[in-house]
Amino acid sequence: MSRVELLESDQAPLLARPYYGADGSASPITRALAQVPELLEVAMPLLSRALGEGAIDLRTKEIVILRVSARSGCRYCVDTHTVAAWDAGLSAQETAALCDGELDGDERERALVAWCDTFAAAPAPVSDEVTSALREHFTDAEIVELAVTSGVTLMLNRLCTSLELPTSPGTRARLEETRK
Amino acid sequence: MTTAEALRDAIAAGRVSERLWLYANYHCNLRCVYCLTDSAPEVPRRILPVPQMVQAAEEARALGFLALGVTGGEPFLIPRMPEVLAELAGRLPVLVLSNATLFTAKLLERMRPLAGLPVTVQISLDSAEPDVNDEFRSPRNFAKVVEAIPKLVDIGIPVRIATTGDHNTAEQMERLCALHRSLGVGDDDHVVRPIVARGRAASNGMGVVAQAKDLHPELTLTADGAFWSPFAPTVRDGRPDTDLLVTRRRLPLEDPTRALLALAHANPAGTDTTLNIR
Repeated sequence: MSRVELLESDQAPLLARPYYGADGSASPITRALAQVPELLEVAMPLLSRALGEGAIDLRTKEIVILRVSARSGCRYCVDTHTVAAWDAGLSAQETAALCDGELDGDERERALVAWCDTFAAAPAPVSDEVTSALREHFTDAEIVELAVTSGVTLMLNRLCTSLELPTSPGTRARLEETRK
Repeated sequence: MTTAEALRDAIAAGRVSERLWLYANYHCNLRCVYCLTDSAPEVPRRILPVPQMVQAAEEARALGFLALGVTGGEPFLIPRMPEVLAELAGRLPVLVLSNATLFTAKLLERMRPLAGLPVTVQISLDSAEPDVNDEFRSPRNFAKVVEAIPKLVDIGIPVRIATTGDHNTAEQMERLCALHRSLGVGDDDHVVRPIVARGRAASNGMGVVAQAKDLHPELTLTADGAFWSPFAPTVRDGRPDTDLLVTRRRLPLEDPTRALLALAHANPAGTDTTLNIR
């Protein structure tokens, strides 16, 4: 049960309406942010750009989002981005490893996961060793993008956990189907 | 283009209203059957603080709004409302909506300084038949209204009459017009508008359905935020509607004004006139 009312499409404020589908559907995050339409209006383009494919490919982005979310204990984001990671090409074994263990990936992805673990452990600083390992595989611009993606993820982790947003029915169905 | 320039052009083109509305409060001593805001004595008051009303008036004048509207709830349940109206009228002309049931001799005396200031009181009167009027509004409402109107007129405060609903036949409307003329209110100061199917009216199955495209954009500030029109910040069965919310942020006024102008720009011109609920 969400801690705030998630606005259905018939109560969607004027500025929020473009973020609801033609069938009236919208994610729980959208329906919560619709309570403050002027925030929704600026947040959605940021979320889309930070979490979606950019100069960094979607698989890498989803590794970052899922790992940071798992480390910060956000049930909503873990559920949502487990499914999103599958759609980005990760296997069920890989998403399980990102949530509960170590990803059996290449050197680049192992360095990335180590960096995510340190990032999510904020306010501890990111060590020289972890940063150096990341720099072996990513440019400055890519590191900035990773930091923005991770930072936005942490913000969403706190938002979704504090508001106790429910996992979308579509996401829940995909998770249950895979667990059968 | 600055927000003030865009507002000036939009007002000149008739795309947005020249009036900024302020919902002073949501509570009321009456419980009208078609009330948009589900107002009654016991509801949450949701008062717009007076300093914010004054600041909004000041910023409205600077931005280029040409008039203010004050509504509720019943605004005269707010302490010092006559003095607040005088402050607002020092910035822009004010139209204040009232049920006219609270104008005791003491309150009328405090209203006296408003004579000569640009303040008009708009009073609801739905029928020349006391029983019909009171069925919509509340017991003894008719008697109190017809007593208050001449007293306000006598002290020099202009009065407008608002009739809500299409229940009056032509003959009944003629009697109503004869009544308001006899009370000192001319035909130009009588507005008739339909019941809008929002708030308690919707709960009671009354009124015409109105969406954003049917309502003239009139920036409206309440304790809950800035809305599309004074018909927008409605409450149904105790639950505030958000479907016509523009922004939660009210001040600086430029923020909701800019958002309203952007939304109004996308609104088809002229559609709001079909229901005649300006």
